[in-house]
Amino acid sequence: MRAREGTARRYAKALHMIALESGAAPAVGQELAAFLGVLTAEPEARDALTRPWIKAGDRRSIAVAVARKAGCGKLVQDFLGLVADRGRMDHLPEIVPAYQALVDEDLGQARAQVRSAVALTDEEKRQLGARLERALGKRILLEEHVDSTLLGGFVAQVGSLILDGSLDGQLARMRERLARG
Amino acid sequence: MSRVLATAAFLLALLPSLALASEGGGGLINLDKSLIIQMVNFGLLLLLLGKLLYRPLVGKMEERALAIRKSLDEAQAARAEAQREREEHAAKIQAAHAEAQAIRAAALKEAAEEQRRLVDAARAEAGRLVESARAEMTQDVRRAKQELRQEVSDLVIAVAERVIKKSLRDEDHRRIVADAIARVEKVS
Repeated sequence: MRAREGTARRYAKALHMIALESGAAPAVGQELAAFLGVLTAEPEARDALTRPWIKAGDRRSIAVAVARKAGCGKLVQDFLGLVADRGRMDHLPEIVPAYQALVDEDLGQARAQVRSAVALTDEEKRQLGARLERALGKRILLEEHVDSTLLGGFVAQVGSLILDGSLDGQLARMRERLARG
Repeated sequence: MSRVLATAAFLLALLPSLALASEGGGGLINLDKSLIIQMVNFGLLLLLLGKLLYRPLVGKMEERALAIRKSLDEAQAARAEAQREREEHAAKIQAAHAEAQAIRAAALKEAAEEQRRLVDAARAEAGRLVESARAEMTQDVRRAKQELRQEVSDLVIAVAERVIKKSLRDEDHRRIVADAIARVEKVS
């Protein structure tokens, strides 16, 4: 798993350097995310790009074609073609967040993954974002999704920092206190 | 001694002859030439008797006395030997008694020592067992308490979760989220 992340980071760094030169780093990130969205929605395309017995040249052609249809620029098309050619398309789910983390670092921003029991209102998102920005000194991009296994509240993760504002967390802490006596 | 006896015997034998001769002729002994012959005969007889009877008899008697003396000496020696052996046996028995006594004393001492050592070891082992049992019991009690606390807390939390899940309304969610947002700065 660690080796897989290391490989993904190397690809992300290479793409990031080239994207910085072209001055389109954030757009490249969005294009990558769009391509990943297509692959997630189309399992057949993903299978075709990750099967080792399909010829490298064919994988490259398929990746370029899919990227073109997903609206990706020349740089992203070439990059995805290279990734498919090298048989690393299965690493894409790790490459995309690694690339976005590099772009976020450039822009002085961070992504907060928020899991909540019920959908947060716009006002709540704004307040949470503002609080996190104040606490971390960075611009915060909230990525929220509803987790029905949570009882109430939310859990926000920014990088390695986890803020547990859920009832589940409170109950877990209460369980520990009770068990300790 | 033998010579004196022979002379005496000769004289005694001569006396009656002389007496008879003096009383007149025609007796047993006549004082004539035959007397000399008789005396010679008698001397020869004495000599012959001494050679053939007296000396062997004396020799036998001496031999017998010697044998008896030897036997007596041997008996004396045997008695002395027996006495010596008896004393030796008595000494050996005494020594054996003393040795047996010493062995018994040593065995008794060793047994007492062994008994003391065994009692000490048993006492120490009993102490260890009691200590171990006590520690194990304490550990068991602690573990049981911990398990009980864990089970109670699991039960309490499970009940709390069910109650919360049923009773939470939208405004409660909003309040919980607001409280969590308010705690963000404190957490950081």
